[in-house]
Amino acid sequence: MFDWLMWFTRMDNSKPLALALFFGAFCGILIYVFSGKRRSERLESYKYIPLLDDHLRQPDTGSASDHSQTRKVMDNE
Amino acid sequence: MRHEQIETNSALMLLLILVVISIGGLVEIVPLFYINETVEKVDGVRPYTPLELRGRDIYIREGCYLCHSQQIRPFRDEWLRYGHYSLAAESQYDHPFQWGSKRTGPDLARVGGKYSNQWHVQHLTSPRSVVPQSIMPNYPWLLATDLDTSDVADRMRALRATGVPYSVTQQEYDANVKKFGKVVADQLDITQATDNLLKQARDQNFDGIPSRVTEMEALVAYLQMLGTLVDFTKYDEGYFTTFR
Amino acid sequence: MAQSSALPAEQYNYDIVRKFTIMAMVWAVVGMSVGVYIACELAWPFLNFDIAALTFGRLRPVHTTLVIFGFGGSALFATSYYIVQRTSQARLAFPWVAEFTFWGWSGGVALGAITYMLGLSQGREYAEFEWPLDIAITLVWVSYFAVYVETLRRRSQPHIYVANWFFLAFIVAVALLHIFNNLAVPVSLTKSYSLFAGVQDAMTQWWYGHNAVGFFLTAAFLGMMYYFVPKQAGRPVYSYRLSIIHFWALIFLYMWAGGHHLHWTSLPDWVSTLAATFSILLLMPSWGGMINGIMTLSGAWDKLRSDPIMLFLITSLSFYGMSTFEGPLMSLKSVNALSHYTDWTIGHVHSGALGWVALVSFGSFYHLIPRLYDTKMYSQALIYVHFWLATIGIVLYITALWVAGIGQGLMLRSFDDYGNLAYTFIETVEFMHTPYIWRALGGAFFVSGVLVMVYNMVMTVRAARYEQAAVEAKLTAKLAKA
Repeated sequence: MFDWLMWFTRMDNSKPLALALFFGAFCGILIYVFSGKRRSERLESYKYIPLLDDHLRQPDTGSASDHSQTRKVMDNE
Repeated sequence: MRHEQIETNSALMLLLILVVISIGGLVEIVPLFYINETVEKVDGVRPYTPLELRGRDIYIREGCYLCHSQQIRPFRDEWLRYGHYSLAAESQYDHPFQWGSKRTGPDLARVGGKYSNQWHVQHLTSPRSVVPQSIMPNYPWLLATDLDTSDVADRMRALRATGVPYSVTQQEYDANVKKFGKVVADQLDITQATDNLLKQARDQNFDGIPSRVTEMEALVAYLQMLGTLVDFTKYDEGYFTTFR
Repeated sequence: MAQSSALPAEQYNYDIVRKFTIMAMVWAVVGMSVGVYIACELAWPFLNFDIAALTFGRLRPVHTTLVIFGFGGSALFATSYYIVQRTSQARLAFPWVAEFTFWGWSGGVALGAITYMLGLSQGREYAEFEWPLDIAITLVWVSYFAVYVETLRRRSQPHIYVANWFFLAFIVAVALLHIFNNLAVPVSLTKSYSLFAGVQDAMTQWWYGHNAVGFFLTAAFLGMMYYFVPKQAGRPVYSYRLSIIHFWALIFLYMWAGGHHLHWTSLPDWVSTLAATFSILLLMPSWGGMINGIMTLSGAWDKLRSDPIMLFLITSLSFYGMSTFEGPLMSLKSVNALSHYTDWTIGHVHSGALGWVALVSFGSFYHLIPRLYDTKMYSQALIYVHFWLATIGIVLYITALWVAGIGQGLMLRSFDDYGNLAYTFIETVEFMHTPYIWRALGGAFFVSGVLVMVYNMVMTVRAARYEQAAVEAKLTAKLAKA
């Protein structure tokens, strides 16, 4: 019943298979990340995170800016 | 799945990282523990005698491996300079391996028997007295310090736990006799460890001081056996390549 | 609530960041000085002085441990605690556990150095700690993991910024490597034997050794880069999408490359071939990361002329690019046949360690210190002085070791007309005397740069204290009047 599993144990089979899998995954990630204008814009928008923290440093300006950044969110949200 | 799902969930991110970093190590390391073909089948390789083992401990203590390799590569110049390339079998009892990564000094994998005991004692005490251009430190304390032999049996017991065939029971001893012959099996008997150590030191007197067993004694005993266990005249060159 | 912070008004826990920053500089001075000393021992062996604790064999692990784990480790603790708080906009979780990581890490590193000098060593490169210290370090690491992850979980920012991904991978990978590589059977408190032997032990050790470079000295410092380069430049990282590719490709590929430390040894050929292949592939994410960092400055290149901190950060990325090109080159079997066992390897490590790791840390610290003490650096000019001392030092160092390493490699494999070896080993040792002196000089330059930085830092902190005292005095005077 599990004889077909033996096919994977042969190096001649598993090496090209692994290569195909890893290369496929790599190409998939590349296509996902770089295709689609809206997705690109969305992904690029996260690069401003480190620059958002400065206005929170000063308590006076920080209290004024009680918008979404200062709101507690749960992990997973 | 969006990448945002990973970016906003620390647990998912951790899990994925763990998966991604595990693959390489698993593929390369795990087979080494199961493929018997990795280690050549050769006669003569045996675990260290108690005295040699203590010498090896001193070799590690002084950090010799940071300047001396114990791994000869299959090149013509190394063949001429050091001898036959190292076999996996030759370090199969080495916990830890001491192949090294840098040759500030020459390779030591087959240094055994190349120089006399006296030369080694002189060289370790004062390297520049025999090799004027040497940059090796002097190790005068090796000759001045008596070897601590009290825990040699404990050390062998720890190695036994890692799988080195040092024997405690009669059964293990018999198995060793079968595998290595009686002379070696006697040396691997943990119950006789201290006696064996003192006897080898007395008989061979590596440090040239008959009345004492010094750290020098153990270290020279170790150096003098390095690379001497396999008789390469017995094997055809092609034989070893079948394991690579 | 018991907070260890000196200033209760602080939004973030900077106290722990300050401690690790100071400790990183202490280890830098001590560890790098030991490095210069042992470099001198190779040039002038009388410096071993027949004292066991001072011999090259015992001091070399002291140097590597203090610099990698002492300096590098403390710099990573400091910056990762800073970055995780600021990019999560949350205060550090479990302040007392974080405090424990500081004392545990500093104590562990110090004890390690002392035990090596006493001759206690596992005999595994970069993992010489004996087993009780290994266990202690594991505890510290688990605490670090807990603090880091819990802080992330308490974030007010929905997204986990890319710098934190690198730190997470670093923490997880180092835990994995440390535990598996240090499996051993103890004899006594001070002696143990590794569980594995021979080929398996070698592969485990270099899987550890290479990934200590990959995750400790690369991934984690990339995390540092992904935060401090954009912050110092005042503009976001060049491409967030590139950083996604960079991250996953880097952590996947690194783990395969360890076998290239064992080319032409008793390790089966298929492992070292596989390792070499992946080492070549590794060039791509490495350079992707470098380009991402350097191009952050695109359109603002003039900052290099006016900002010495930017100079540190961009130069560090250039050295990163250089050593990640040299690395795959050296992992080719034919090149490795020449380079392995020679000083070329040592030079390569230092172009990464000094050029990349140390420079990016210094740059980040120059950005960090004024913010930690709410002031500005005492002297801009001294930052320039430090930069040039460091750069000249690195160039001297790696050039000297190219000469020593390639020269020795070529000498060892040359034959005379009759097919005999042209040189004895000791002749190559003689040849290396001059490059060894230049190398020691390069190291001395680098350390003097660090000393300039320490002076600059001390003066900055003193000025900050003075300013703060002045402000407080004014305040109390006002209150007294009222």
